[in-house]
Amino acid sequence: MSREIEASRYRANDGVEYLRVGMAEVEGVVEDMTKAGTRLADLFGSMEDEELVIRLVYGREPEPSYAVVQWPVRGGGYPPLSEVAPAAFVEECEIYEQFGLKCSGAKGLNRLVVPPHAAPDFPRLAHRPGRQAPPPHAPHYVTGEAIEFPVGPVRGVGQESLYMGLVTSGEELIDLYLMVWHKHRGIERRLQQLRPQQALFLVERAEGLSAVGNSWAFCRAVESITDVMVPEAVERTRAVALEFERIYNHAASLAALCQATSLTVGQAQAEVALEELLRLNAAAFGHRYLFGVLAPGGVTRGPDVGVIRERFTMAVDELRRVAAALRSTNSFMDRVEVCGVVSIDDARRLGLVGPVARGSGQDLDTRRDHPYGAYRDCRVEVPVRTAGDCLARMEVILAEVETSAALVTELVQAGLRAGSVDLPPAAGAALGWCESPRGESLVWVSLDREGRIRRARLRPASARNWRAFDDAARSRNVFTDIPIIEASFWLTVAGFAR
Amino acid sequence: MQSLFGRSLHIRTIDTGSCAVCESEIRLLAAPHYDLHRLGFFFTPSPRHADLLLVTGPAVRAFDQAVKKTYLAMPEPKIVVAVGACPLGGVYSEDAFVHGSLEEVLPVDVFIPGCPPSPLALLQGLLVAVGRLAEKVDALSFVDDEAGTGEW
Repeated sequence: MSREIEASRYRANDGVEYLRVGMAEVEGVVEDMTKAGTRLADLFGSMEDEELVIRLVYGREPEPSYAVVQWPVRGGGYPPLSEVAPAAFVEECEIYEQFGLKCSGAKGLNRLVVPPHAAPDFPRLAHRPGRQAPPPHAPHYVTGEAIEFPVGPVRGVGQESLYMGLVTSGEELIDLYLMVWHKHRGIERRLQQLRPQQALFLVERAEGLSAVGNSWAFCRAVESITDVMVPEAVERTRAVALEFERIYNHAASLAALCQATSLTVGQAQAEVALEELLRLNAAAFGHRYLFGVLAPGGVTRGPDVGVIRERFTMAVDELRRVAAALRSTNSFMDRVEVCGVVSIDDARRLGLVGPVARGSGQDLDTRRDHPYGAYRDCRVEVPVRTAGDCLARMEVILAEVETSAALVTELVQAGLRAGSVDLPPAAGAALGWCESPRGESLVWVSLDREGRIRRARLRPASARNWRAFDDAARSRNVFTDIPIIEASFWLTVAGFAR
Repeated sequence: MQSLFGRSLHIRTIDTGSCAVCESEIRLLAAPHYDLHRLGFFFTPSPRHADLLLVTGPAVRAFDQAVKKTYLAMPEPKIVVAVGACPLGGVYSEDAFVHGSLEEVLPVDVFIPGCPPSPLALLQGLLVAVGRLAEKVDALSFVDDEAGTGEW
């Protein structure tokens, strides 16, 4: 690494290291990072003083730090990073759509959130001055014996809108591609100019099933900028809410797995557990999906500890009973085993996070690797499986329910409190992170001098993990395996399309 | 009304940009705690068999065509039930991405407020919708006024 790059390194107070580089050095830095096995966590652009700045976020596990590499774009392009680091491809498409900037080299980019029928004035995060972004394209040909079987965008009961193009020669799946632009609500664009307190409402609703995870990451970024210390008992309250969210999501994933394998009895039992957990959320925190619990600087309300003591173990026991019954049901186990395999190599290459990554041998968990809030004082067990199939992911989430249950007991004993610290006006930018039920959620926030959001980048775990879905679906599966794989990934389209 | 639908009313769901939480509550309608089948409601995977369209989300503009096609594919009489704060315009204001209110796209018969509305609120909303459907059925003419000659 050149001397100039070394000189531009500095460590912010939140443990994130910033590297400012020039266009010419970017490729070298990315190559070095990829060779060293550093995990690429995110890539995004933002307009700053009429100039596009691109940032790469690296997670340097096992070292407890993130590295943010940033460079200003001058001239019309940047090196094709995804050729070195495949984990960057989706974000390259995103930068093309939102900022009209294409990496050099003539690779086809995929359509993400801009609809094919969008007018040229379709709102994006920014246009490069004097240039209209041409519509992105995804050349897609199905030839020979294969046909494309369209599913969606309107799908079954209680399923999010999603278009799946299933390419098949009959029964076996040859290829699969996804279209998510039906659900793009432009949340990152809406967040601009809002105050963090107002913005939280939308951050929670970017992906409702990870409301606590995403909003905690957002709050951490804001608290880091304003240099606010949240009291420990309040941080514990946040952690309890997050573990509640994890447990109910895992119960929902289990119910969906049963539904996908047509195991109605198992589904009904898992749904009983899920409903009990949601009611517990409502009784303890006042909302079934824990909306409005977190606030920048603290939490808005403390949980009813009596209710947690009385009902928490009972609700989790219900889930344990379902899990035990499923493990001894051979017809169920046969369906999830060797189904939807994500190889260890692919999981690393694509930079996956959460239970999907942990089911494919990636020993990652921000609660342990980048301890924050109450997790600084807790030991977090991270279950890892290596098979990479639906069964491995199911084993991971079931083991995580146990860790979460132990954490909740520990946190409740240590004492919980509600309350929040007022945010002083401050300008700056910072990264926030949190282990949502679906994995690492990253939020990068930049505030202007009036304390309004200049740019908020939300990167829920769903935005990361969908890219492995086609690989998992292709691995010698048939049509009926697709819902099973989807249930075991348990991602949201809302988080991806934002 | 009961004799007409034979305690069998079929529901089609559609998501126009929700945050996935309303979907979660809709799925729970069929769970043991709520069991909407006991009231004669059923989910159907086809709009052709649907009497009621259950819509979530803020009516994303990019989704207009799919919403209209689904609605047109449903036979008369049909009703539209909007689920949650999004289709009421309570989460996203109108802009280039969303309509802000579902009424811009579909004739909504019943709004069920809440973010998300709990399954019990959804059940109550569905029962209200059944009343509206009955009104529509009463207003429907089963005589072909145009023909009027009795030839068929």
